[in-house]
Amino acid sequence: MGFYISSRPNIAKYVINVASIMMTIPSLALYGVMVVAFAPFKLGLGIVPSVSAITIYSLLPITRNTYLALNQVKPEMIEAARGIGMSKNQILWKIKIPLSIPVIMSGIRIAVVMGVSVATYASLIAAGGLGYFIFAGIGRANLTMVLVGAILISALGIGVNYILLKVEDWITPKGLKVKR
Amino acid sequence: MIELTNVTKKFGNKIAVNNFSLHIEKGSLTMFIGPSGCGKTTTLRMINRLTPFDKGNIIVNDTPINDVNPVELRRNIGYVIQEIGLFPHLTVFENVAIVPRLLKWEQKKIERRIEEILELVTLNQSFAQKYPLQLSGGEKQRVGLARALAAEPEILLMDEPFGAIDPINRLKLQDSFLEIQEEIKKTIVFVTHDINEAIKLGDKIAIINEGNLIQYDNVSKILSDPANEFVENLLGQDRNIKALSLKKAKDYVLKDGFITVLDTESRESVEKKMKEKNIKIAFALDENNHLKSRFVLEKATETKKQKFIYNPAPWIIERQNNINEALSKMLEAGEKQLPVVNRKKEFVGIIKLSNIFEEVNKKTNIS
Repeated sequence: MGFYISSRPNIAKYVINVASIMMTIPSLALYGVMVVAFAPFKLGLGIVPSVSAITIYSLLPITRNTYLALNQVKPEMIEAARGIGMSKNQILWKIKIPLSIPVIMSGIRIAVVMGVSVATYASLIAAGGLGYFIFAGIGRANLTMVLVGAILISALGIGVNYILLKVEDWITPKGLKVKR
Repeated sequence: MIELTNVTKKFGNKIAVNNFSLHIEKGSLTMFIGPSGCGKTTTLRMINRLTPFDKGNIIVNDTPINDVNPVELRRNIGYVIQEIGLFPHLTVFENVAIVPRLLKWEQKKIERRIEEILELVTLNQSFAQKYPLQLSGGEKQRVGLARALAAEPEILLMDEPFGAIDPINRLKLQDSFLEIQEEIKKTIVFVTHDINEAIKLGDKIAIINEGNLIQYDNVSKILSDPANEFVENLLGQDRNIKALSLKKAKDYVLKDGFITVLDTESRESVEKKMKEKNIKIAFALDENNHLKSRFVLEKATETKKQKFIYNPAPWIIERQNNINEALSKMLEAGEKQLPVVNRKKEFVGIIKLSNIFEEVNKKTNIS
């Protein structure tokens, strides 16, 4: 979606706005909406509505960062690419995307880490997960249980972030990282 | 060959290029000069269809450019811009190889070509694996030129390629660019706003103002016979001195009056040789013909004995230096004669102050 809107500023405005509005919905409420939305298909509880809610939540950072990344490529780069005879597609795949990888990847990282924390609530709609320990712990006034849940979730978030940082480093073109 | 016929371009209501006709000969270097916003860059960009034109016709190599797919057209025209536009995520090799790859050359042929082209722009082969962020401004510019030349286009469009380079390196780049052009003889259109650059590099100059072609002629003709006040102002008060800069050091290179020796030779043997041949100056060269040092045998006077001087890092003049630059170096060095080298730093001969003064004398006799 980010790729698609990057060359269409008119549509981009609306997409980014809609995605921003989605972000303002409290995550708990979004689960509620999903439960209602999927109820007619007998999928109202469990995995399907939770995954949908998390997906919608991740949309904004990924879309926005992809859009920004592709548009921050210096105009003279694109000018030079056109001037030496690259087609639109070649400019996108060979110039714009490689140059955008760091920013696109940081969008994905934000989305994933946010997804981890939002997924906590999924236990409330019977999707299980680590959130279960927290909410069950609160219900039983069991501090250890709450702490175990919270620490595991933090560890998961930090771990995933670390792995994605490594991936980012790995796929970023070497020329963008060299020391002068 | 490039032929523009009555080309007009409007941006909204503003006329950027007005009924422009120009014939650019094959193998010539044409400079477009004028104040900013005069339409020189627009005109350049119309030649490879980066900017479409409204009226008129442009013919490149006997084909109207509007009959050619713009992407195909651009692959056959070299293009260099001010910011150079090297792609930072690609190595020098990959940057230079872009157009040959777009044209689907074989890998072997590409490798051979890149070796050749780096040699041409005097970059060491080790640069091939470097990234643009590791290069200096001048090196980037050379790579930019190499990229534009890689697929052997007949035509080269250059939009203020040396604009962002400091003055000292700009002079050096201009010198080696001229030598390269002497070798490759491409049809080049070169946009600049620096009149000295235009005079130094151009075979012909097109002076443009507010979208109109004011004067298009040989450099010497423009200097001696400016079309109107605008051109006179552009050339400046010192246009007669500028006319001197049309003369290049290479036109005055002398091949005699000195001897060359290998830099491994002992000083005593050099001194002996010089005395035998009664020669005052000797240059020591290494096996690649690079100038290493200079020996001078001073005249003996009544009070002083003859002195033999060894000079490890002598002043040099580049072949493409104009005689203003050569004169200025001689004055700075306090020498009556200096050695001349080409862009590969190979020794080619010497130049004498007296020859330059003869040229100045000729000028003053005319006016």
